[in-house]
Amino acid sequence: MRVSKRTRRATRIFFATLVGVVLAGPLLYLIAGSLMSSAQVDAATPQFIPSSLHLDDYVNGWNLVLQARTFLNSVIFVVFAVGIQWALCITGGLAVAKMRFRGRSAITSMFAVSLFIPVVTTVIPTFVVTNQFGLIDTYPGLIIPIAAQTGFGTLLFRQYIITMPQELFDAARMDGAGWWLLLRRLVVPLARPATAAYLAISVITAWNMYLWPLLAANAPHVEVLSEVVAAIGQGDNFGYNVTQPQLYAATVITVIPMVLAFLLVQPAFVRGLTGSGVE
Amino acid sequence: MPGMLAEPTVALSRLHRRRRRDEGAALFMLGPNVALFTVFVGVPILGAFALSFFAWDLNGSPTWVGLANFTAMVNDPLVSISVKNTLYFVAMGVLPTVFIALGLALLINFQFRGITIVRSLYLVPAAVSLAASAVIWQYIYAPKFGLLSFLFDKLGLTPPSDGFLFTPGWALPSLDVVCIWTTLPIAVLLYLAALQRIPESVIEAAMLDGAGWFRRVRYVIWPGVSDMTLLVAIISLIAFTASGFDLVNILTKGQPIYGTETLIYYIYYSAVVNSEWGYAAALSVLQFLMIVGILALLAGARRFLVRRP
Repeated sequence: MRVSKRTRRATRIFFATLVGVVLAGPLLYLIAGSLMSSAQVDAATPQFIPSSLHLDDYVNGWNLVLQARTFLNSVIFVVFAVGIQWALCITGGLAVAKMRFRGRSAITSMFAVSLFIPVVTTVIPTFVVTNQFGLIDTYPGLIIPIAAQTGFGTLLFRQYIITMPQELFDAARMDGAGWWLLLRRLVVPLARPATAAYLAISVITAWNMYLWPLLAANAPHVEVLSEVVAAIGQGDNFGYNVTQPQLYAATVITVIPMVLAFLLVQPAFVRGLTGSGVE
Repeated sequence: MPGMLAEPTVALSRLHRRRRRDEGAALFMLGPNVALFTVFVGVPILGAFALSFFAWDLNGSPTWVGLANFTAMVNDPLVSISVKNTLYFVAMGVLPTVFIALGLALLINFQFRGITIVRSLYLVPAAVSLAASAVIWQYIYAPKFGLLSFLFDKLGLTPPSDGFLFTPGWALPSLDVVCIWTTLPIAVLLYLAALQRIPESVIEAAMLDGAGWFRRVRYVIWPGVSDMTLLVAIISLIAFTASGFDLVNILTKGQPIYGTETLIYYIYYSAVVNSEWGYAAALSVLQFLMIVGILALLAGARRFLVRRP
């Protein structure tokens, strides 16, 4: 006999949930570890449930390992790199979508070609250029070369702006409105979904970026969170008697903001990756 | 394409727009973008090629060495090792990502109460940085008392003697698992988007024709998501190339016995540790050619897959 439809459905829900728990498992396992005592983390059989909560390890993880300065550096890096890049991309996207000027298609193809050249192959020469400007271990040196990677964003906004009705632009131009006014009153408000998709991708990418900060901002006063977390992975004990749960707590602190942000914006994230209104 | 919507109005507005060009405004709007892009993206791309013909330790001016960096690459055993490792790492990462992601997307592509929470569980790893993933998996991979060793013991398997990350043959696949874990959610999201575009009626028609589970996937779903498969493969390719640095530099430093020496890690090592920036640039050119080659291969593979019935 065939299994009833309801049983099949229940089985599917069960497996879907089980796989979900397995996928989120590694992070949950680290969070559990961050709440345990050192002895429990080091136990000979793996432990899943903290026998007593050690929230003070989060305070110590923040103070001894991460430090407010590094957290602030990450925030500064993300806000300025993404903010500047967004401004460059939406203005540039408007220009290549709606303005008439010589070289428009050449510039558009230049951005398109850059998408096929992975950052990993250009990071060494980008370091050389930044070094020639004397910007290594400074905020501008950390931020500007990332803000300058405008290929993806400009094309994303171009795709979005090009679908805005031409009559809107023509009418406004006939009334004597300048492009700057059009940008502020028309393009930025209408392109809000594109901005959301763009921010979803860019903020997470920037927050999690490791190789570029390692090269361009390796000094303590400019280093960002991913460098500190990498040092945890490399077995750095931070010059104190920092315990394993404190190191895990520090790692969890850096992860949680992005996990929450990602879950909030995930539909926008897909729109950004597929580059259109596909949901 | 939504871009078509704007077309019918072009003829009407052309009359007004013919005289008006926007050179000045375009310079103002696009100028800063193009200027920064040129200096920090364009120049480095061309610079990588130029620098590959020089020897330079960042001090003083570079010395022209012609093709010496490239001939040195041919004789450098670490180049062939790192190229082989990179290809292995990418293949063992991208292929499982594509197939597991499609399977998972099929598994959760239906509605039930609590689907939002369950989907969130699937998406969590995408937000975790590779650095944090390294810390997480180091905990899981810990030799002797680690979670994975424990599971191996329970299943009657012998965990690798020097731990998952430091036993030859185990290290690279263990790094792949970490990167598959962080890449899967995006791939699942993309496949979900593609699955929702296959009309329910097409799948039902196939079922009425008596198509079994496998035939439905092979002849209805797989062709229906082929465009997305290409995108998933490209995004995974980029992710695995980049993680070939992050994970290696944090977890293994290319060990054991160069078992995890990837090309991007060797590029970093040549530049930052050995101060051979010209050689690193030449290696970057090789990395670039490799990625372009794989992309061309993917495009070819897609044409092949789509042409079949």
